[in-house]
Amino acid sequence: MAKSNPGNTNAKPGKGRNRKGTIKKSFREKFTELLELPKDLLLDRPKLTLIGCRDMMIENYKSVLEYGVGYMRVKTGSGIVRITGNNLVIREISHDDIIISGTVHSVEFTDAG
Amino acid sequence: MKFLLFRLWNYARGYVIIIVEGFFIEKFINICARRRILLWNVRIQKEHRVTARMSISGFRLIRPVARKTGCRVRLLKKTGLPFVFNKYRRRKAFFAGAVLFFILLNVLASFIWSIEISGNERLETAFIEDVLAGNGIKPGRLKYGIDTRATVDRMMLEIGRISWISINIRGTKVKVQIREREDIPEIVPRHIPCDVIAQRDGIVKQIIATEGIEAVAEGQTVKKGQVLISGRIPVKGSEEQYRHVHAMGTVKARTWYEAEVPVVFTETERLRTGRMIKDHSLILFSKKLDLIRRKNRFSEYTTEETRKKLTISEDLVFPFEWVVVTRYEVTSVQASIRETDAREKAAEEAYKEALELVPEGAEIIEENIYFTEEDGKLTARAILECVEDIGLSRRIGGN
Repeated sequence: MAKSNPGNTNAKPGKGRNRKGTIKKSFREKFTELLELPKDLLLDRPKLTLIGCRDMMIENYKSVLEYGVGYMRVKTGSGIVRITGNNLVIREISHDDIIISGTVHSVEFTDAG
Repeated sequence: MKFLLFRLWNYARGYVIIIVEGFFIEKFINICARRRILLWNVRIQKEHRVTARMSISGFRLIRPVARKTGCRVRLLKKTGLPFVFNKYRRRKAFFAGAVLFFILLNVLASFIWSIEISGNERLETAFIEDVLAGNGIKPGRLKYGIDTRATVDRMMLEIGRISWISINIRGTKVKVQIREREDIPEIVPRHIPCDVIAQRDGIVKQIIATEGIEAVAEGQTVKKGQVLISGRIPVKGSEEQYRHVHAMGTVKARTWYEAEVPVVFTETERLRTGRMIKDHSLILFSKKLDLIRRKNRFSEYTTEETRKKLTISEDLVFPFEWVVVTRYEVTSVQASIRETDAREKAAEEAYKEALELVPEGAEIIEENIYFTEEDGKLTARAILECVEDIGLSRRIGGN
């Protein structure tokens, strides 16, 4: 196998590819940690800011998955954020940020990746 | 603060409130965000129905998004300045008036309309106004291009009797502050020979010469200008030669100040009858326009004038003035005063007048009030006797 296709070692199934994937990820993470760079920007991680229980800001979100009475699900780089509360209003929504106000009861990560 | 600005900005830009209904509202929101159509205050009404606000330009781009997501978009309300303007778009005169208002406000605010002079006690305000006008500062002049610093320098030279002047242009008002120069008697330098002369008439009470020769004796009556201490000292053994010195010393003298006030037994009081006439006029750019002017029906009257200037705050004065002249009809009533009261009143006035004549530094040692009758007229006379230093230096041969 190695003889016929030496350049394709990375595409090997099983342990190799898996390891490669984890190596790549941890390298990026290590890199940002080494240089003390903001993780939310480089690693596509969301930044959640809660001011009391009334205002919440999610920077770097991906999309709004669900918006119903009393709950909201937002897709981010770290999985899905589920917010429950009363009178949840999207105060502002732009390409990268979403500001939610209302009375927040809970914030949970579901399907964390 | 941030939200207040945000709201003001949105009001100025104009926005719409919409209702979105459908099964894929989340999709609608996501697409709007991705296409940079700003949405705010997205509020869920009930399941599958939200209200949201968006800009006018965003609303124009919403149709394809709505079609793609299968949402129904309804317009609930239009808010903001663009809609207000749109409403008045056809009213050209309204807009012209609004524009004209701002132009006029600006034009009028760039002229000087009032001058406020303060700090002058002896100099007359009208005189200072004349000098200012000569230097180009007068009502009706464009306020730009006035070099206040150069004017201050020129004013100092032209008036001469001031020690300090400041000119500030505030709004449409010019504020001029003045400090007048104190008139101080000329001081003869120590090395120049001089005499000590009498400033005013009096009787010498005490004379002490520290330099020079005493020319008068204690108890002697002196006239104004008379030499009290002489700076000319005769040289011994010679009749003609004199040695000149700078005479110094104190000369205390008794002086008198008096004032006369006739005693009046009747007093005229002018009482308003309650009838009045009001004249209204408008002053535009120093031009007076009589709006309401009625004939004077009263034989005896007093006038009162009230002026109202159009101003914004204190400094922005505009050249419009509303003048109301009120004439009140009066009747004169003669009232007689008791003799003791009349005498007391006259005596008090005479005393006050005499007191004003007493110079600074003089000590009052006696106060006398007399009543003299002449041709049936009673007069109150106040005489104040003082002790003061009447010496004044004067150069020898000078005046």
